[in-house]
Amino acid sequence: MKAALSTLAVGLLFGLGLSCIGFSSWDEVHRMFVFADLRMLLAFMLAVVVLVPATAAWKRWMPGRVKFRTRPTHKGTLLGGALFGVGWALSGACPAIALVQVGEGQLAALLTLGGIFAGNWLYAAVQQRYLHWDTGSCIDE
Amino acid sequence: MHYLAFWQSALVLAAVPLVQWLWLRRSFGVSGRYTALVDELRSPRSAEDEPEMNEAELIAAMRAATAEAFGESVLEAPAAPDPAAPVVLRAADPAYMHWLFFGGIAAGGLVSALARGNWTPTFGLHSELFARMFGASPVLGPLVLVGGGVLVGFGTRMAGGCTSGHGLCGVSQFQRGSLLATLAFFGTGVVTSFALRGLL
Repeated sequence: MKAALSTLAVGLLFGLGLSCIGFSSWDEVHRMFVFADLRMLLAFMLAVVVLVPATAAWKRWMPGRVKFRTRPTHKGTLLGGALFGVGWALSGACPAIALVQVGEGQLAALLTLGGIFAGNWLYAAVQQRYLHWDTGSCIDE
Repeated sequence: MHYLAFWQSALVLAAVPLVQWLWLRRSFGVSGRYTALVDELRSPRSAEDEPEMNEAELIAAMRAATAEAFGESVLEAPAAPDPAAPVVLRAADPAYMHWLFFGGIAAGGLVSALARGNWTPTFGLHSELFARMFGASPVLGPLVLVGGGVLVGFGTRMAGGCTSGHGLCGVSQFQRGSLLATLAFFGTGVVTSFALRGLL
């Protein structure tokens, strides 16, 4: 129960934050990618600058509390990232953003959301049938 | 539309992974939750796959079985538990946890839209540029969204992460794969967006 409420709370915080930043606006994302508005780009870079010492301090003072895994680098790292970037620029959504957009009442993002699930499924099938790369995952398990 | 200033946005983006580590004790990333849900749908996990006992119970059972087979004398004194050691037998989150996380994200969008008095659900995107680029035909916009979504799902699973896991967390740890993936998705995002300017 506690785990479920915490999970819901982190999701809520994340969705609220992304929406207030403007990450869920197709126009804002487009202006970021064509460097017409540097606000979100600077926000992302500053967030990394904050997270570098924060992560190092976390690993130093709370070892073992979170299992950080180094993700494997493989042939699909670049190609997968490149395909994701094209999809992001077209749909205006990265995986979390499609959900924020649906919540905001941008219901066309349901199509994006369905596409993300379908694409993930498609990769699983292609990987199993042809590629057999160890792609890793951004969550434990 | 008023959005947070860049430094406020940065603090929000940096705070969310830290809150997740604190409350959920797991690394932060969104695309992996899609992968977990898709894998659950592709081959549902049966009850038999669930670990029936935790690590301490398992070790106790193995010690008992060893003592029974070879006698108490072969057993070494139990090692003191290492508080810093990660828990090995941590069961994967059940699917409903991922749905809860996703529901939370959507609820966050809802709260934000309501708070700014801007909750007018429409079957479109709240975007002027998208409408100008793809609004001419009623099928083009939906096709672009589905196609874009497929590329996002396919690409993030192939790369093993997305903006949150690779872009925020992996890059902050200077992981080679995350740096490469982030350069790649940002690069093609820029190129694609400049190409889209031609539709205006």
